[in-house]
Amino acid sequence: MHSTGYIIKFTVIMTIIAGLILSGMFYATEPIAKKNAAVFKKRAILSSISSLLDKPLAQMSDDEVMDLFAQKMEQKVLNMDGAVVEGKAEDLSMAAEAKLDEADRKLPLFTYDGKDGKVNIIGIYGNGLWDKIWGYIALKSDNKTIVGSSFDHKGETPGLGAEIKDNPTFPHRFIGKTIFDDAGQYTSVKVMKKVTDPAHQVDGIGGATLTSNGVSEMMVRGIKYYLPYFKNNKN
Amino acid sequence: MELINIAIKSAFMENMVLAFFLGMCSFLAVSKTVKTAIGLGLAVIFVLGITMPINWLINHYLLSENGIFGMDLTFLRFILFIAVIASMVQLVEMVVEKVSPALYNSLGIFLPLITVNCAIMGGSLFMISREYNLSESVAYGLGGGFGWFLAIVAFAAIREKMAYSNVPAPLRGLGIAFILTGLMGLAFMSLAGINL
Amino acid sequence: MADKEKTPLFGPKEKRLLWDPINDNNPVTVQILGVCSALAVTSLVYKSVVMAIAVIFVVAFSNLITSLVRNYIPSQVRMIAQLVIIATLVTIVELTLKAANYAIYKELSVFIGLIITNCIVMGRLEAFAMGNSPWRSFLDGIGNGLGYGVILIIVGIIRELFGKGTLFAGSPIQLNIIGKSNDLVQYWIDTSPGSMMAWYSNNGLLALPVSSLFLIGIIIWIQRGRNKKLVDVS
Repeated sequence: MHSTGYIIKFTVIMTIIAGLILSGMFYATEPIAKKNAAVFKKRAILSSISSLLDKPLAQMSDDEVMDLFAQKMEQKVLNMDGAVVEGKAEDLSMAAEAKLDEADRKLPLFTYDGKDGKVNIIGIYGNGLWDKIWGYIALKSDNKTIVGSSFDHKGETPGLGAEIKDNPTFPHRFIGKTIFDDAGQYTSVKVMKKVTDPAHQVDGIGGATLTSNGVSEMMVRGIKYYLPYFKNNKN
Repeated sequence: MELINIAIKSAFMENMVLAFFLGMCSFLAVSKTVKTAIGLGLAVIFVLGITMPINWLINHYLLSENGIFGMDLTFLRFILFIAVIASMVQLVEMVVEKVSPALYNSLGIFLPLITVNCAIMGGSLFMISREYNLSESVAYGLGGGFGWFLAIVAFAAIREKMAYSNVPAPLRGLGIAFILTGLMGLAFMSLAGINL
Repeated sequence: MADKEKTPLFGPKEKRLLWDPINDNNPVTVQILGVCSALAVTSLVYKSVVMAIAVIFVVAFSNLITSLVRNYIPSQVRMIAQLVIIATLVTIVELTLKAANYAIYKELSVFIGLIITNCIVMGRLEAFAMGNSPWRSFLDGIGNGLGYGVILIIVGIIRELFGKGTLFAGSPIQLNIIGKSNDLVQYWIDTSPGSMMAWYSNNGLLALPVSSLFLIGIIIWIQRGRNKKLVDVS
């Protein structure tokens, strides 16, 4: 049996040691972790234009990713009226924006200037079956044809909904689809169980109807946010 | 309404044991009879119900950048969360012992087990990653606890019946328990499509 | 291990400390400890390996530290003291992973934190480290961590190979083993070699977390079938 004084002394010393070790560790690793988080986000964005990159994304080092962003990526922040506002697109958190009223949100826009001309990359955010899903859609400079996409999710079922990220063929299905019909009407691109209109629809993921519906909803609503900007900036 | 939805969702569609497989150790170890399962289940509801709001307050007011210290102390999250859980469990143990010795005798041995029940810690971590607010996290805690209670009681009832079944000897006990839980998990997956 | 065996510190008793938990006294299949995380992270081999290394590190060092200070820990706050040691080590793992490989940190998310409540860690502290010398406790920790890791990796290999047709997906050495040699996968992951058994189509059940319960059940069946003294008589 130990005295109360000893217990208090023991607890205090133990807490101080643990606290010191952890805070030292935290401040030593924080800059690396922050850089990693930034590169992780940049890779997700680049993944939507992976077919246009000079070098496969998986073989690019972190520094190359940072360089590419610094040299070939133009970043803009838009408001809901399609006007460019102050800020850097990569610092914008889509999760935080989604909590604001629809009219107050800001949108990220990246423009990649590669060997095949300019490509606009837009960010979309929505709800999957269990939790949030988000993605980046790359559009040709006519702002009509999709040239690539990438998706991610917080907690979709592995093997079902999570395939939007894990199955590389899923984002590939969007390539070449158009978001306007021939009459110039906005249609977006939907994920369907059975494709009836191949220009504006892609195959869903078997067994993950609700996640597929979530992706459809996110595409329709998310791309619509950018329409005012596209209208004002016709090339 | 939103709160009721969160509670129902965490009890059924996102059941801690059968959808996320949290708290499996005690789920498998303490489910041989329905009576003990009820005891442990009640204790889990209780502890989840108290620790969630406390951990929410700690995370919000002490650890986050907008808290009273004004800096990012999230690296202390694990230590503080587990300390809160351990001390709450100890507190509950002491109170129950004083107030109702009969309940203590039936529940007492399970209380230390709850500290290392992944469902409690997992509940707190999920609450942070899903960005619930205070009342939502209480609803999530109580709903999740109820779901855990429901799962372990149902499982114990099946295991009691299994005692009369002719299971291959090497599969008896633990082996069949794993497979049963898997089947229950598959059944619960069908609830996933319900939209509230 | 070869150079360790030369040292007098590593006798037959120490060898048993390492070997028993991998085989006859496996923490997952015999002691039923640490099952939670074994289910969620085994969808990919790569994730299982990282998780196994993290758990080996935490069990081994928490055993070592607890054993070193075991005579100073007052019994009234024993549990909290142990939990603080574990939580500190787990936070170290989390911070290291965040700095070393952010993608896998994102994948494992809350399951790193749940190592704290992995019963193997707490169970070994109580059952072994509180009453044994630091060196033996350390070995016992490594042994139990390995025993856990072996199950994790076996389940991971079966789930990934038959659920996705790959091995080590997500890591730099992704291999496409069976199933359709998918041109798009080739195009995406440039390092992947071709695959065999093109008629095989992936089994969706194995991608779901529930499948690991069935697999562990079958592993238990095989293990107890071979070793009759483990059979549950009750």
